[in-house]
This record gives sequence, structure tokens and C-alpha cells, in this order.
Amino acid sequence: MPRSLFDKVWDAHVVEELPGGNALVFMDLVVAHEITTPPGAIAIEKEFGDKLYDPQRIVAMIDHVAPAKDSATALQAQTVRTWAKRQAIRFHDIGDNGICHVIVPERGYVTPGMTACCGDSHTCTLGAFGAFALGIGTTAQAGAMLAGCLILQRPKVMRVEVTGELQGDATAKDLALTVIATIGFRGGTGYVLEYTGSAIRALTMEQRMTLCNMAIEAGATTGIIAADATTAAYLAATPGAPTGWTGETADDDAEYAATVTIDGSAVGPMVSWGTNPGECSPIGGTVAADAPAESLAYMDLRPGQAMRSIEVDQAFIGSCTNARITDLRAAADVLRGRHVSVPTIITPGSQAVRRQAEREGLHDVFQDAGALWTHSSCGPCLGMSMGVLAPGMRCVSSSNRNFPGRMGDGGRVHLAAPVVVAASAILGRLASPSELPPRTEAGAPDDGVAQGAAAREVVPA
Amino acid sequence: MIVEGTVLSIPRANIDTDQIIPARHLTRIDASGMGEHCFEGLPGGAELLASKPGAAILVTGENFGCGSSREHAAWALKDRGFRAVIAPSFARIFLENAYTNALVPVILPQATVDALASAERIEIDVESQTLRADGGQPIAFELDALRKHFVLGGGFLAYLNAKIPEIRTWEAAR
Ligand code: SF4
Repeated sequence: MPRSLFDKVWDAHVVEELPGGNALVFMDLVVAHEITTPPGAIAIEKEFGDKLYDPQRIVAMIDHVAPAKDSATALQAQTVRTWAKRQAIRFHDIGDNGICHVIVPERGYVTPGMTACCGDSHTCTLGAFGAFALGIGTTAQAGAMLAGCLILQRPKVMRVEVTGELQGDATAKDLALTVIATIGFRGGTGYVLEYTGSAIRALTMEQRMTLCNMAIEAGATTGIIAADATTAAYLAATPGAPTGWTGETADDDAEYAATVTIDGSAVGPMVSWGTNPGECSPIGGTVAADAPAESLAYMDLRPGQAMRSIEVDQAFIGSCTNARITDLRAAADVLRGRHVSVPTIITPGSQAVRRQAEREGLHDVFQDAGALWTHSSCGPCLGMSMGVLAPGMRCVSSSNRNFPGRMGDGGRVHLAAPVVVAASAILGRLASPSELPPRTEAGAPDDGVAQGAAAREVVPA
Repeated sequence: MIVEGTVLSIPRANIDTDQIIPARHLTRIDASGMGEHCFEGLPGGAELLASKPGAAILVTGENFGCGSSREHAAWALKDRGFRAVIAPSFARIFLENAYTNALVPVILPQATVDALASAERIEIDVESQTLRADGGQPIAFELDALRKHFVLGGGFLAYLNAKIPEIRTWEAAR
């Protein structure tokens, strides 16, 4: 029977069919971070003699709060640190830290056709490599560390074909938001989104990761993209430079439980206005006329309000969605020779990304523009540290969740691509790069005060 | 196994795990102490909880528990005294976490959920997969045949632990 890409990866990892339509699915890689791993690691230590199925199949890191912000988060980090050392688990400590979904690909830990899980919903990011990768709870992760397997219901497969190619200012983030708006915030529940089509083939690995990262925001188990020459070139350049993998592809006549087609050439910059990622509009559009009252009340917006009229108090470029080197380059291209008008935080996805950005001088571009350039952490993406919002504060963010309170109690989040965040940071309202006034003199000394592009001397671009 | 108690209805769709327990409280290395922060991220959450002190059965909207994978959401609900959640649908990860933590996830059609929202007490018989609202007619629901075993007290990790020899054999032959 012809099979989808997902079917092939799944079938190759089923150890046993279990009652209730469940399967025992082997996990080639378990990713562990400090927020969700400790209770599971402690349970294994107490109840199962600290026995792991295979420590070499685990990679651990400190990512969410790096470094610790208080004694409680320090204890979480220290728990993972001592556990990783005791078990001889590959470990990325402070200094070599990064967001797990950034570290795992950039080090070459993920390969096409593998399975991977982590106590973190955005593990779907790794689907960009043709892997079956998914987020799970702490206990399920503990099970995968103890026994090498997850118990899963076989998901259905939705073929998401993106035709044409992304044009102009459109980015993978805009495509991700378009997919969610198209199939609905919970439209992917019970499915794996198998992305295909000319627009997907044309994406870089970083863009594919951004797209797959947000599969969970449509409720999907994960996203998956067949490996190709782009994948091979990316992996060959990683420190791990993994070899020996063969990328599966879907059979031509594979059948899918659902199929969606999106015109990639028609995608433009998208920004969320509501309290889930499906509630979004084109930057040139308006807040939906039929927007739910609860979303509008929380966001303090009106139906039909122009997206460009929405003023922001803070801008954040970071997170596992959009803080890789290509994202930072794109943001720097917008910020170069310009100045932000609201507090702007730029947080690289990993320390390796940070160092690469600094080799390219991007840190100077950001700081000349008046932005705060930080070390790597999840930071304000989940409202834990490094830029948490106050009630009522409005932040345009390159992250992936705009849920009530996500970035801080009462905080309001507008999701967008890094270039839109950068443009919005400059104008102080939701904006796309095409709206920006000419740049200030290149390399003009920075006065260290964010005062807005309009207040600075401008010369023709 | 009978799970019963008073009902708290929160008729909203898409209540995500950040609303059930905000990330600022994910700073422990064990599963305890989450209950006091339950629904702290839900607009109006404190008032809703205060309106039904001691509620054990949550009746809510579609896609409950979406978003972050944090099992802390199931821990917070359990620690707050909830024993079951009745909704038209759940997000996958929350559903898995509910089962492993014996927080009974009951999926019923929206119209049935709407009718249950006004119940005072609900009694759930997990074994027979039926529930009664205020002593009324039994309503049947589905449970995952394997995961039901985890709700009834079979340990999730113990189950997997017993599978290890078989898994090693599979891996060696792969
Ligand atoms: S960056 Fe945000 S979404 Fe990504 S892993 Fe960290 S907290 Fe989760």
C-alpha cells in the first residue's frame, strides 16, 4: 500500500501494537530540559534504580531560564546538571546553552527518518528534517528515558501542499500563521501535517523549522517535511555532521486523511490580533469583524480596527520559532541605520547563534539601533524572565504563542515575523518593513537613547 | 472506581495550559504545590474557582489543555481537587497527561457537555464508562482501553518498565 512520509517513519518505529489503538513507538532521541525533566528523572531514580534505557539516546540542556533567575530555577538546572553528569548524558550547560529546538538541529543531533520526543510542545520543530518529533508530558518523557518508547495513538496525516513560492516580504512565519488561520487553531488535532509542494522545497532549513515549529499551534501532533539536498547540506555543516541516514519521501499515490492546498505566492506578512495563533490577519488588514468578544476584551481591540493602527509597548525577537541566524540577519537588515522607538529585546536561539551573529557584526547593528542584545534563553516567550510583560502591556513578538498571560500576567502579544517585529519596533506600531522611512546615516554614533526614527537625522537611502 | 463531586463549569473553548498554570510557577522539581496557582492565567479564573469551592468535576469547552506540554496543568488541576474533566475535545498532550495522572478525561458531544454544565453533582463510574448528573440517567462515554488501566491504578512507568526486554529485542533486530 502506498504510504505517506509520516507512515514510513512511524511504521519503522512501531515495536508493538497495543490495546485501544495505541502503539509502542521507539524513540531514537529524547531531549531533556530543566523545566519538565526533573520530576521524571527523579521518579526513575527513586522507583527504577536510576536506570535509563540508553543514556546515549538522550541530550540535555539548560534553555528556558538560562542562567537561573532565582534559587528555584537554579535547583531545576542543578538537578538536570547532576543527573546528566551521573548518567554521562550529552549536556549543554550555561555558556553552551540554547533553546532545545535550536540546539538539537544546529549540532546535528536530528536526522531524517528518526523519532524524537521532548517534554516540550515545540519539539515538532524537528519535523523539518523528515523526523517524527513530538512534544509530550513529563511522565511520558520519563517513560521514553526509562524504556526507550512512547505509547501513542497513531495520528492521521494531513497533506499540506504549498504551491508557488513565497514572495517579497513574506516569511516562513507568515506561512505558518496562514496555515493555522486556514485549517484553524484546533484544525490539526489528531493529525500530522505533512508539508509538501514547490514553496516548501524552496525553503531553507531555518524556514522549514519555523513552519514545523508552529504545527502544534494548529493542534497537530507534529509537522514533517521530506529531507532533500537542502537538508543534507544543512546537516553536513553541523558539528555532528551526521551520515548514514537515508531520507524517506511519500509515495506518489499515498492517500491522506485530509488535504489542504495553500498558494505560497499569495502569502504576505501576517500578525495575530487575538489570543491564539489562528486569530491573525495580514498586516495591511484589520482585526476580524467576527472576532470573539473574549479575545477582543483581553487584547483591548475593536473589530475592523486596522492592524497598522495598533501601537506596541515592547518588541521581542527570539524563541524557538524565529531566533536562528537567518532570522537575526533578516531583522538586522531592517534595523541597520534605523532606531527603535519602544524597548526591544533581541535574544538569540542559542549561544552558537549568538556567537555567529557577533562574528557578522549583527550585535552592533542591533545595539546601534537601540535594542537590547541578550544571551540565549527562552526568556519572555513564556513569561519567565528577561522581558516579562506587565498587565496591559502590548508586545510584538517573533515567538509562537499569544495566549492570555503567556508573556506575563495580563500582557498582550502580537505574533509576527522577525522583520515585522523589527519594523514595528522602529515605528512603535504594527508595521511591515516596506513602510519604513529612509535609514539614518550608516554607522552614525548611537546616543544610547531610544527616540524613534523620526527624531533622528535622515539621509536619502 | 467512582469519581464524583460538585461541578465547576467554565464554558470556554481553547483553555490552554498557560491559563491553567502560568509558566512562572513551573519552577519546582516535583509535581506538588501547583493547586494554589490553578487557573491563575485564566481571565476571571479566581472568581470562577471561588464560586464553586471544592469542585471536583470540571465541565468545559473544546480543545481543553491546548498549547504547552506542561504536565503541571494536570498536576495543578489534581492538586486543586479536580478528579475529572468533561469536554467536547482535548488537546493531545493534555489528554495523555490526564490519563497518566488519573485525571479522568471524559469526551462527550457539545450538546451533552452544555447540558452537564448546569449540573450540581456528577458521578462517574470509570470501569463501566458511564456518568450520572444529579442522579439522572446514565450517560456513556469512551475511554482509551489501555490508558483506562493507568487511571484505574496501573502505573504508567511500571507498564513501560515491563516492556523493556521486548523493546531491547526489537531494537537488536532492527
Ligand atoms: S522559546 Fe518559547 S516556545 Fe520555544 S521552547 Fe522556549 S518557551 Fe517554549
